[in-house]
Amino acid sequence: MTALALRHDGPGTVPVPGPRRRLIGLVVALVVLLLLLVLSVMIGSTAIAPSVVWDALFHPSADIDQFAIRDYRLPRTVAGLVVGAALGVSGALIQALTRNPLADPGILGLHAGASFAVTVAVGLLGVRDIGGYMWFAFAGALIVTLMVLALGATRQGQSPVVMVLAGVCIGAVLRGAGSALELTNPAAFDVMRAWNAGSIVARPLDLVWPIVPFLVVGLVLAVVVSGSLNAMALGDDLAAAQGVRLTRTRVLAIIALTLLAGGATAIAGPIGFVGLMVPHVARWIVGPNQRWIFAYSVLLAPILLLASDILGRVVMHPSEIPVGIVTAFVGAPVLIVLVRRKKASRL
Amino acid sequence: MTMTTLRRGTALAALLSATLVLSACGDNSGDGTGATTVQKRTVTAGNGAVEVPAEPQRIVTIGNTTLPLIDMGGKPVGVTEVGASDLGLIPAEQKATYEAATILGSSGDQVDMEKLAALKPDVILAQMPKSEFEGIEKQLASVAPTVFWGLDVEWKALAGGLAEAGNVTGGLSGQKAEFEKKIAKIKETYGKVIADTEFVNVDRWESSDPGTFSVADFGCVEIAQGDLGMNFPKAAAGADPLGWTALPFEQIAGLSKYDVITYPVDAEGKPKAPFAPVVETNTWKALPAVNSGRALGVFCPGNNSYGPVLRYLDSLDTALATLPAK
Repeated sequence: MTALALRHDGPGTVPVPGPRRRLIGLVVALVVLLLLLVLSVMIGSTAIAPSVVWDALFHPSADIDQFAIRDYRLPRTVAGLVVGAALGVSGALIQALTRNPLADPGILGLHAGASFAVTVAVGLLGVRDIGGYMWFAFAGALIVTLMVLALGATRQGQSPVVMVLAGVCIGAVLRGAGSALELTNPAAFDVMRAWNAGSIVARPLDLVWPIVPFLVVGLVLAVVVSGSLNAMALGDDLAAAQGVRLTRTRVLAIIALTLLAGGATAIAGPIGFVGLMVPHVARWIVGPNQRWIFAYSVLLAPILLLASDILGRVVMHPSEIPVGIVTAFVGAPVLIVLVRRKKASRL
Repeated sequence: MTMTTLRRGTALAALLSATLVLSACGDNSGDGTGATTVQKRTVTAGNGAVEVPAEPQRIVTIGNTTLPLIDMGGKPVGVTEVGASDLGLIPAEQKATYEAATILGSSGDQVDMEKLAALKPDVILAQMPKSEFEGIEKQLASVAPTVFWGLDVEWKALAGGLAEAGNVTGGLSGQKAEFEKKIAKIKETYGKVIADTEFVNVDRWESSDPGTFSVADFGCVEIAQGDLGMNFPKAAAGADPLGWTALPFEQIAGLSKYDVITYPVDAEGKPKAPFAPVVETNTWKALPAVNSGRALGVFCPGNNSYGPVLRYLDSLDTALATLPAK
C-alpha cells in the first residue's frame, strides 16, 4: 500500500504523505530539533569544551565557563524553543483563520500593539528593564487583539476580512504613534532599535517561565479548534452544515494566536518570517490537515529559530546578529523558493 | 620757513589729529557707516581659518562645544540641548550657566535657525559630524562667523581652539597646569603598576543591545593610555575602535586574561546604570580580577575638556591606590 494519498484542493493535485510517513517526518523533525538544542548549548561566540558544557549541565560548579552555559546559552536555547513553537503555531492559526497564505500574526496588529506598548513603557513610564517592558508588550498585543475582535464583529459573526483590515489599520496608527514617540525620546529609540530586531539574548529563564503558561493555553486552544478549522477550510457554509460554530471557533482561534504570538513577541520582540514560512513548509509536507500542520509547526519553527540563532552567533564573531535579522535573511529566499514551487502549499 | 609758519603747521596738524582721534571715537567703523569696529582674531579649525571677534560677547555653542566652553568659564547665550545624564555630571554653577542660555535645538543638525538669528550671536562654535555641519554651514555663517571642529579632533586641540575662539584662554591655562601636575603625580606614584600591568577598560551604554558589553578604547581611557602610558587594549591602526564591537555577555569570561579591569561608575562610585547588568552577572563575579580587588570603578564625567578630565584623573588616582600588591 502506498503511503501517498491524493489531495484535491484546487487546480491540480498534490501528493500528500500518509499517516505513517507523516509520523516518520515528525520523528525526524523531533530528532533534528533535539540535535539543534544540543548544538545551541554547545556553540557560541566563545569556544567552550564539550566536557565543560556537560559539567555545566550535570555537575554544576562555580567555574566561569560553566556560567556562560547556564546563564546565557541554556536560557536562550529555551527561549528559542518556546518562542519558535509559539510563532509557528500562531502563524498556522492565522493562515487558517484568514485563509490567506501570506498572513502572519503581525497582520492583526499584534506586533504593532506590542511594540507601541514597549515604546510607551520606556519612553513615558521610564521602564528600562526587559523584565518590566516584556509585560507591556504582552498587554499591548492582547489589547490590540481585543480591539480587532470588536471591530471584526459583524451581524454574521466575526469576519476575517474585517478583522484583518482592522488589524492593518490599528497597526499603522500604532506604528506611526510609536515612531513619533521614539524620535522624540532617545531612551525609547535605543530600546526599540534593539527590540524591533527580535532577539532571544538576555532572556533569563525567570523571564521566560512566567510566559510559558500562556503559551501552553494557546497551544491547547489551537489543538481544540484545529478540527473546526479543517472544516472551515471547505468554506463557511459547509463548515456550518457540519455543525461547526464559526464565531466561537474564530474567537477561540484568535485568543489562541494572541496568547501564542503575544507571548512570543513579549519574550523576543517581533520576529518575522517564522510564523509566515513554517506553516507553508508544514503544509507542503503534510497537506491541509490543521492538526498535522500544528504538530509540524511546533517542531519546525524552533528548528528554524534555533538554527538562525546559532548562525547569528558565529557569522560575525566576536559580535552576534539578532535572530530576527537572521530569520529574515534565511526566511525570505526560502519563502520565495517555496512559493515558486509548482506544488506550493495551498490553503 | 619761519617759526610762525611752523607753529601754524604744527597747530594745524595737531588739530587734524585731534579731529581724527575724536571722529574715530565717534565712529569706529572708519567707513562712516556708524558700525562699531570690533577687534578680530583668526582661529584655525576644521572649516579653515575663521576671523572671529577678539572678545566675543554673544557666543552660541552647537553640538559638543557647549559643556567644554562652559567648563572653561564661557557663558554662551545660545546652546543645543545637552542630555540630562551629562548635565547631572557637571558642577552646579556650570549647570546654571547652561540653563541660562537659550536652547536652539536638540542637536547640531536640529538648530532652529530663526531662533539662532534672533540671538544675534557674534560667534558660533560647533562640533558635530562633518556631514551634518556641511548641511547647515552656509546658514550658520550667514548669521555669525562659525568655527567648526569635526568629531575626530583630539580633545586638547578642541579645548585650545574653543578657548581661543571663545576668549576663555585664562580659564584654560589654569586647568592645563593642573592637568600636567596630576599626570606627573600619578606617573610618579604608580610608575611600576603602570609599567607592569595589563589593563582592560569595559563599558556599556544606554544604546547597547541587551546582553552585550564592549571593551572600550575611547573616552577617558584614551587619557590613561595616551597621557599616563597605561597598557589598555587598542584597535589596530585604521581599524574601527574596539568599543564599537558589541560583545555578548558570555565573553565576559575572556576578561580573565587581564590583570586589572576598569569599569564605569557614577560620582558616588556605583556602577553606571547601563553597566549594572554586567556586574550582576555570575560571570563577572567569577572573574579573577573581580575576586582579587583588581576591578576598579572609575568615574569619567567627560573627556573633551580639562575640568571633567581632572575629575577623571582624581577618580583614577583613588582607584589605583586601592590596588592590592601583586
